[in-house]
Order: sequence, then structure tokens, then C-alpha cells
Amino acid sequence: MNDQSTIRVIRVLLVDDEATLLEYLSKRLLRQGHTVKATFSGEEAIEVAKQENFDVAVVDLKMPGIDGVETQKRLREIQPFLQCIVLTGHGSIESALESGYEEAFRYLLKPVDYENLVTVIKEAYEKKIKLQEAKFQEELEKLHHHGMGARGMRNAIAELRKIYGFE
Amino acid sequence: MPLLNCARSMDSNSSLETELKKARQELAGYKIELHQTRGYLQCILQNSEDMIFATEVGGILISFSKGGEKVLGYSFAELIGTYIKDLAEDPVSFERFFTSSQDEGPTVQLDIPFRHKEGGIVHCNVSLINLMNRESQRVGTVGVCRDITLWKKIQEDLVRIDRLAEIGRIAAGVAHEINNPLAIISEASGWAGVVISDAKGLSPEDREELEKATKEISHQTKRCSSITHELLDFARGSTPALIEFDIHDVLRDSISFLKPELKHTPIEIDTQFMSGPLLMKSDPKLLEQVFVNFITNAIHAIRSKGEDKGYIQIKTLSTNSDVEIGFEDNGTGITEEDQKKIFQLFFTTKAPGKGTGLGLSISQNIVKKLGGTITLDSKVGVGTNFTVRLPLS
Repeated sequence: MNDQSTIRVIRVLLVDDEATLLEYLSKRLLRQGHTVKATFSGEEAIEVAKQENFDVAVVDLKMPGIDGVETQKRLREIQPFLQCIVLTGHGSIESALESGYEEAFRYLLKPVDYENLVTVIKEAYEKKIKLQEAKFQEELEKLHHHGMGARGMRNAIAELRKIYGFE
Repeated sequence: MPLLNCARSMDSNSSLETELKKARQELAGYKIELHQTRGYLQCILQNSEDMIFATEVGGILISFSKGGEKVLGYSFAELIGTYIKDLAEDPVSFERFFTSSQDEGPTVQLDIPFRHKEGGIVHCNVSLINLMNRESQRVGTVGVCRDITLWKKIQEDLVRIDRLAEIGRIAAGVAHEINNPLAIISEASGWAGVVISDAKGLSPEDREELEKATKEISHQTKRCSSITHELLDFARGSTPALIEFDIHDVLRDSISFLKPELKHTPIEIDTQFMSGPLLMKSDPKLLEQVFVNFITNAIHAIRSKGEDKGYIQIKTLSTNSDVEIGFEDNGTGITEEDQKKIFQLFFTTKAPGKGTGLGLSISQNIVKKLGGTITLDSKVGVGTNFTVRLPLS
């Protein structure tokens, strides 16, 4: 069950007020070798995201305080490439979509099937990497056009790596 | 003088004649008027949907309208000499009402129950008026009764629908709340499964037992959550989600959904599908609900017939633009009378508590929503064949 060799380490931020649910979810993801941070409210998640970089966030829609849609919006303001998966109770997918908040990577119906969640987390991760690489290339080209010296270039790349969390 | 006398008498003769003539003319006028009034009255008595009757002073029927025959099932001939109060369900209180109308003039009483000839109760709003002769003496009573049985039933149904909707709302709330603990159970058992498969020092038998148990927990929680989702779908009256799929898959899923139902019955399900997948664009979740309903009804019909060689044939047939799905069983069949009612809300032939009378009316709603039709062909004692016709896209 636990074949770490084929799995890339994904940094996952979990946001849900159901602590017990997160406990088991984190344990399983950790066991598969991913890096997991569990937070229990939108506010807490935003604080954590200011300190640490993540690839994918799994956010519950209905939480006390700021809700899932707002949380994922703010998380992306902090980390533009972060992909958010929003978990919703039944019937709220439509309402979430109707409100025009479609920028989440995907909305999943609760209770989610674990295997399905992992598949979607991987897809979200792939998308994040692709977007990031593209941006990285774009910035690199820009630098190239500006014709910096080798040293300046190296510094700039190091700077970029930092920005996108490639350290 | 005699001559004069004679002239005088002739004079009075002619005036008498004139008077007679005048009276005759008047009489003829009254006759016409009477005729017209009688015609008018007959017209009312023959055509009114209301039950209109007249009695003599003591309450014995002397006239009973066509509407009355419809309302209570008796013809006037059958009722000659009958007291009106004896048609009421409670003659004593009707008599009281009848007497009070004689003293107080026109009286109206709402919702008086009468007995129908074929049994059953007919509810009427009744107004009673004294019938007077020219000397202003009371010679009887006229009653006008409006049958409100259907109206009452509709009102009761509305109350029931309202209650059902309320139960639906509560159920949806409960289902929603249950989702969270279900999610935790599912995650916890998943986690236990991971730990067990990695654990050292377990005997192979124990490991197998534990793995089986955690799988079972996961499986059953999934079952619970699919129930809560269905309930929520139902409560929300979800709008169709159109996707492309193979109708054969949905039919197979519906059959396997009913496997537990079929376990202890000698029923053979024979699938006569067209070869290969039959792709269509519609809402598979809603269609599954419809198919499960048809198969459940078929199983029920076979069981109540006591058929020990139960047989349900499910076949598909596609034309250029449509697909036809047939469900044929060798169950009890449906009487012609019931065939007219089976799509009505709350109509059921099942025992109280066994059927809601919702299945077929919901099914018909769904199929209509998806642009299709349901037809049936049934013979009592032979079986029933339902055909669902749906557009391919």
C-alpha cells in the first residue's frame, strides 16, 4: 500500500474544522510520504500559508469564520500557484458555482473517497508544477533578454527558486 | 220592457263573454309561464351537479334531482317514501338540523356526511329552505346539497403533501449531519487498513480477518453515504445532469442494486440487451432510480402472485433517435381500473406501510423531465410490461 518510490512528495495543507477527520486524513497522507499541515480554520490556514509553502490545499467549504471559498481565494493571494480542492456538503457545489467562485482546482462532494482524494491531489499538484514551471521559464527568458551577466543570472535564479519554493 | 230586458241580458251576456275571453287569455298566459317555469325547474333538477331534493312536512322525500342520483347513487324511484334523514350518516343530528330549519327559515350546515348506496361516505354542504303554499303555510322543505368529498380529499392530500415535504426537509437535514461522522468513520477505517497492512507480528489469519473487517467498514460507510446522497437528491428535486453513458451499465447497476432483494426469491432476470454499448446522453443517476423502481415493482408483483417461476425480462432497443427499455414480468398484472391510477401521487396497491405510492409518479416525472415517455401493457394474472422510451440525446 505504501509505495513511496513512485510518489512524489506533495506538500498538502488541510483546512477543516472537523479535527478528527483531519487526524486520520493527515496520518494516511503522511504514511504515503507526503508533507502535511493540518489547520482547523480558514484564519489559521492563512497564517500558516504566510510562513510555509504548499502545493495543494484541501479546504472544507463550511467552516465557522471565513468559509472555504474565501479561504482558498486568500490562500491563492499569498501563494499564487497553490491549487485548492474544496470539499462541500451535498447540494452546495451548485451554490458555490453559482456564486461565481470557480477558481478552485476542483469541488469534491463530502464524504470523499480517500483514493479519489489522493488522485485529485496528484492532479492538482501536476497542474501547480506545470503553471510554476511555465512562469519560471517566462521569468528566465525575461532575464535572458535583459542580458545580465552569469553571476547576476545565478543570483536571480536563486531569488526565483526562493519565490517559488524550490529550495 | 221585455225587449229592453232582453237587450240588457244580452248586454250582460256579451260582457260575461268578454270577461271569460279575458280570463281564458290570462290563463293561457299563465299556462305558458307555468310551462316555462316548470321547464326551467326541470332543467335545474336534471342538470345540476348538486343534490336537490324536496320533502313533505315530515321529511319524506317527494323529489330527488339527477345530481342527487349521481352524488348518492340512488335513483328517485328507489327513494320514494324514504325519510331524508335516513340517507344521512347520522339521522339523529340531521333530524335536529332539519327541524331547526323549519323554525328558523333558510339554514346552511357545512360538511354533513351521507351514506352512498355502494357504501362509503359522501360529504355535503347542505342548505335547507321551507317550501310554502299560497296561504303561506309550510308544506315541506327543499334542500340543496353540494358534494365536497373530492374537495375534502384534495385538502387532505395537500396536508399530507405538506407533511411529506416537511419530513423531506428534516430527512435532508439529518442526512447532511450524518455525512460528517460518516466521513470520519471512513477515514478511520482506511487508516486502520493502512496500519494493519504494514503491521509486523500479525499472524496471516489475523491480518486477513482485520483487513476484511476494515474493508467491510469502508464498504458499508460508502453504502450509507450513497443513501444520504440519494435522500438529499430526492429532497432537493435535483435538476437532471446530462452526461454521455452506456444505458446497459445503468441497467446492470440497477439490477445489482437489487441483488439483496432477489436473494430469497425464485426470480430469474433475463437481460436481452442489444449487442455492444448503447450510448446516450441523459441523467444516469435519475434513470437508475426509475429502473430500480420498475424492477422493484416487478419483484413485488411476482411475490404477491406467489409465482415460483418468477421471470423479469429487461430488454433494450434503439432506433435512430430513441432508445426503448422494456421491463416485462409474469407477476399479478394490473387491472384496467388501476392502470388509470398508477401514476397518481400516493396511489398504491401495497399494504399500508409497504408502499408510499410515490414510486411510479416520481418515475414518470423523471422520464418526462428527460424528454421521454412511459407506456404499459398489462393483463391480470399474466403479467405487466412497462416500456420507457427516451431520446438518445
